[in-house]
Formats: sequence, C-alpha cells, structure tokens
Amino acid sequence: MASTGLSLPPAPAGLRARGGGVRRRTGIAYVFLAPFLILFGIFVLWPAIYGVWISLHDWNPLVPLQPWVGLQNYVDLFTAGSVTSADFWLSMRATAIFTVASVPFLLVIPLLIAVLLNQRIRGGTVFRAIFFAPYVLGVAVLGVIWRYLLDPQLGVVNHVLGVLGLPSDIPWTVDVPWAWVSLVGVTVWWTLGFNTVILLAGLKGISADLYDAAAMDGAGSVRKFWSVTLPGLRPVMTFVTTITILASANMFGQAYLLTKGGPGHATRTAIMFIADEGLSQNQMGAAAAMSYVLFACLAIISIVNFRLQREKA
Amino acid sequence: MKRRTVGRALAATLALALGVALGGCSSSAGGGGVVASGNYSGPAVTISFWNGWTGGSAPVLVPKLIGQFNDSHKNIKVKNVPQEWAAISAKMPLAIKAGKGPDVAVAHGDDIATYAAQGLLLKSDSIVKALGYSASDFPKGLLSAATYKGSQYAIPWSVTPLGLFINKDVLTAAGLDPNLVPTDQPSYMDALAKLKAAGVQGEWVDGFVFTGTFEFETLVWQFGGQLFNDDVSKATFNSEAGVKALTHMVDIVKQGYSPPNVAQDGNINALVGSKTAFNWNGVWQTTNSALDKVNWTAAAVPQIGPEKAVWSSSTDWIFPANKGQDKNKTSAAATFVKWMNDNSSGWAATGELPAKNSVRNDPQLLQDHPNLKPFLDQLPYAHYETVSPGITNAVATITTAVNEAVLLKKSPKQALDDGVAKANQLLKQNASQYGG
Repeated sequence: MASTGLSLPPAPAGLRARGGGVRRRTGIAYVFLAPFLILFGIFVLWPAIYGVWISLHDWNPLVPLQPWVGLQNYVDLFTAGSVTSADFWLSMRATAIFTVASVPFLLVIPLLIAVLLNQRIRGGTVFRAIFFAPYVLGVAVLGVIWRYLLDPQLGVVNHVLGVLGLPSDIPWTVDVPWAWVSLVGVTVWWTLGFNTVILLAGLKGISADLYDAAAMDGAGSVRKFWSVTLPGLRPVMTFVTTITILASANMFGQAYLLTKGGPGHATRTAIMFIADEGLSQNQMGAAAAMSYVLFACLAIISIVNFRLQREKA
Repeated sequence: MKRRTVGRALAATLALALGVALGGCSSSAGGGGVVASGNYSGPAVTISFWNGWTGGSAPVLVPKLIGQFNDSHKNIKVKNVPQEWAAISAKMPLAIKAGKGPDVAVAHGDDIATYAAQGLLLKSDSIVKALGYSASDFPKGLLSAATYKGSQYAIPWSVTPLGLFINKDVLTAAGLDPNLVPTDQPSYMDALAKLKAAGVQGEWVDGFVFTGTFEFETLVWQFGGQLFNDDVSKATFNSEAGVKALTHMVDIVKQGYSPPNVAQDGNINALVGSKTAFNWNGVWQTTNSALDKVNWTAAAVPQIGPEKAVWSSSTDWIFPANKGQDKNKTSAAATFVKWMNDNSSGWAATGELPAKNSVRNDPQLLQDHPNLKPFLDQLPYAHYETVSPGITNAVATITTAVNEAVLLKKSPKQALDDGVAKANQLLKQNASQYGG
C-alpha cells in the first residue's frame, strides 16, 4: 500500500522496516476519506463519466430509445446552421463577456477593501460584516431585490438618477450593454465579501517583520503594497483568481432572474443554455456535449492561470 | 453563484441517476382507459391526485373540495398531492414509468401531447363517453384541443384567456371618459393617441412571455394567421398576419404610446401604479389584490385585425398510464373528475374559468365574480395551446422574436423569419424524437 503512488514523503529507513505501520496508517486514512470518496464517486465522478456516454447519444430521457449518434452532438456544436451551434456559441460569448467584465472588479475591489480593513481602523469588524452581508443572500432574493430596484421605468435607481438630473430611462435589465453593467454590478455587490474575507486572511498571514524591514529600507506605503503585500498574497491570490473565474464562468441565477437572458439571448450564459437544453427541452445528449466543451475551455483557462501565477513566483 | 451551480449540478445528477435507475423499466404502451360510468361502484380505493395548485386561494379551496368529495363517496379516497408545476414536469414522466405516478393529475394544455407521445397517458375516449361528455359541454375547440393523433388524452378543467385591463383613474386624469372601452383598432389607437397627448403612455408593450407573447399570438389570429401549420410540421408565425401583428406592437413603441425597454411585469406594475391605462393580461390578474388600490375594469381584448380572436391557455385532467395501473383506480379517478367539473364553480375564485359550460353559464358565477364577464364572453373565439409533442421549445422562439422586435433590435419581419427558421429546426427534431 505504501507504493500506491500517493505523494507521501519517503519513509525513513527505520520506518520502512516496519512497513506494516505505514500500511495501517494509510489504511486508516482511506477509511476516514471513504465517506467523502463514496459521495464524490457517486455524485461527481460517475455522472462525469456517464455524461460522456450520454453525450454520444440522441438522449431524450423521456422517450424509450436513445439512439447512438457517435460524435454528432459535438460535430453539431462546431457546424454552423445546426440546431445547437449558434445558440451555444452565443451563450459562450455571453459567458466570456461576463467573466472578463466581472473578474477584474471581483479581484481588485475586494483587495482594496481587504487592505483597508487590515489597517487597525475603528469598527473594522463591523465593516467586514457589512461587506460580507450580501453574500449570505440567496440568488432568488437577490433577483427579486434588484429587479425591483433596476426596473427601467419604475425602478428606484432610475428614479434617483432622474432626481440628480441624469438620464432616467436607462434599460438596466432589458438592453445591452446596460444589462451587463447590472449583472456585473449586482454580482460584485453580492460576492465581493467572500473574496474580501479570504484576502484579509491572507493579509493577516504576512509577517509584520517584512513591513518593518521594508520601512527601514525607506519604502513608503505604496512601495510596501507592491513589494510586500502583493508577493505575500500570491498563493491566496492564485486561489481567489481561480475560483472567481470559475464562479463567473458558471454564472446562472443573476441572468436567469434579472434579464431572462435578454435582449434576445444576448445575456443567456452557457450554463443557462445548457440547463434549458438538458433539463427543460430534455436534449440531454446535446447538453452533455456542451458541458464538456465548456469544461474543456474552463480547464484550459485554469491551467493557463496556474502557469502564469507560478512563473511569476 | 457557486452554491447555485452546485445545487443544479446535484439536481441534474440526481435526475440522471433516476433516469439510469429507471432506464431498465420499459415504457408502458399507454393503452386506453376503460371506465364503466361516472359513478364508480367497485371496491374501496385510494387514488393519488397530483396538481400544481400551490398559490393563491387554491391551497384552501382544493382540500375543501376534495374533503367534500371524499365525504360523499365512501368507496373512494382522494389523496391531494400539490407541488410546484416545475416539480411535476420533472418527476411525473419517470414516476409513471416506474408505476409510482398519480392516478389522476392536472396538466397544462401544451404538455398533453408531449406526455401522450411518450405513452405516459391512458387514452380517454372511453372515459369521455362514460362520463357523458361531448364537445358542446366545453368552450368551442377545447375538448378537441386535448387530442393527439386522433385520440382523446385529456378532459378540460379550466381556461385562462387574455383580456384588456383598464385603469379608469388614469383615463380620468388624462381627461378621457373613465368608462371608455376600446373595442377595435381605430378606437384603441385613438385612445392611445389621446393618452399620449395627455402625457400618458397608454399601453406598455413588453417582449416577454408574460404578456407580450400572449398579445402577439392573439394578434396573429386576429389577422387571420396561424402559429404553426395544421400538422405542426412547420412554423407559420412569420406569415403576413404575423408581421402585421408584430408591426402593430412595435409601432406602439415607435409612436411613443409605450416606453421602450419595458421589463418583465413592467406593464402590470405600471397599471397598478397608475402609470398606464391599458394592459393586455390574463384573467388571473382579476384576483391580483394589488389592483384593489386603483379603479379598474376588464374588457375583451380590442379587435385589431379583421377577425375576433384571443389567446387562452387551458388545464386538463389526465389519466396516467402507470406501469400496472389499477383499472379500479382509473375508474374512481374518472368519477372524481366528473364530480370536480360539476362542482368547479368555486374555482373562479382562483382567477381561472371553469371549463364546463353548465358551470360557467350558471348566473351565480357572475354574481360572485362580476369581473369575469368579459373573459367569459370571449371564449367562443378563444385559441388554445398548440398540441404537438415537445412543442414548448418551438413556442419559445416566438418569445425571442417578439423580444427582439419590441426592443427594436430587428425589424418585425426579420425577427419572425429568424424565429421561424429556428422553430422549424426544433419541430424537425421533435418529430424525429417523438415520432411526430
């Protein structure tokens, strides 16, 4: 068992002689991991594998026959004029727009807030709670609140803009590009607290000695930020960047509730389209194929992201 | 966002897992339900009844009705299983295949053919005959709308037509006669023009299912068009009638009678908030308590085109073909359906019209619910859902076209042509999957 290729540190010679102990310890580790592994296997691994099988069929779960179509579902996605390709790539484009537009704000704003909260300011805990508060809201609540606030004709936001003498007929939830502004803004407001808290924890982990040393070398606060804070945050930042990109690329609820994917299908994200195709229209085969294309794209982006951050280190 | 995705992934996984687990069970053929009469006299049975009546006054009304039925039928006990409509759509097909579905259920008109094509429903020709129903017991065209491939698959329960909701306070404030009811194209456009002169945008046109799509479909029929051809193999909503219908809606926006970029539900909210005078909306809004704040009335939708027509949806009773379905239970279910239809007068309180003519024609109904009169009056020319398996995906392309045109992204013709092209692809896919 000790040779299963797990990245255990090489056992010292003395221990290796008593290999049974290692074996028992590894065995116990598996026992402790088992509950998670079983759930992971049933609900993540098996469906992921089974999904490949589904994607190779014309799979409508409601009819008796699911004919084998080979790679046709994938070919359709890359064939202009097929039932799925135009809608799918439009939804991928929407996902890309949202990700590119939201991720910078979701990294920079939480970073600035975390740095501010990391100063010993009065009421820091209160502010931390305030910034984190929206994150506990469910997306349904969020959708109801913001659809009410952002209604183009009857909403509070346009009313306030009008009172201030600004244009008061902005189609926040109905037309692009405003719908993107709304979706990004709402998402930033909703989730920035999560990134802030993680970055704040990262900041607390940077040794105060480094700041003292930098100060002694004559660094000002800006220099300290670039030369001590940012490098010190790199591991945390890699993690936050990755999960933020993935979360943005998986955006569903905000667009589903706020814009209904409109105008036309301009703000219908890939996940929205896949869910509609698979769960509403029962085209599980096509939906599964789309999921794997989306998965491939996200995997590539994640790998590139990790590479970039590693090279900097 | 992340939690949501995880939730959906889990739901999808569960659905798949269920599909796998049930994949082994072959689908039942969906034979005919045979019922002796509308008065079940066999051994005592308990039947389960699935419905999506979870809102409004239904959660109080339905148990009351079922209680009355159970008390008066000693050999039948109906078990009420209300749940969200979406949950029913997701669960019922698999449940029926596994023999764990309901003995009777209520479904929307546009789902019947989809269920029927999958062999999930018992043919109900014999049940209709045993209960003594004929086409003349229901609004014109409603009973035949519940057929698929020449067989009856459902029995009507309720209809919900569109109407014109009018805010009289707004008319008064704009200097118009508060009792003004536009009935045709000239009087409607005249009212909109006068309202505009008084600074009121008279009808807020939206590009969403609720209610821009309903308005568009009404207008297509009024201009003499059809949404699909007779065998539902081709979409036809880009016909001349379709273009006229959508042009009418877009012109209302272009002429400033409606603000551009109306959001979902913006129009009914504007009516409630006295910002607009007219709203094409469903009969269900008659029970909207938010309207109590204003002085409102409802009327038949104005006749914009050369023909009288109005959109309506419908709900129907279906008899699931559960694996090993107990004939006695189906028979008892038929008795229940007949009793419910006969006693459906109270259903009007939910903002739906009982389908059975004799119930609607009882003067008591209008005494209790005077607001329903214009909706009842429209039923002779109401159009119901298109009946074809998987049709909802093709109907969704109509909403996309209306949305793009009303937001002035595409010309009406272009939007409809694009919608039809997409719809035809989907109809072809449906035909090959469900054996159209």
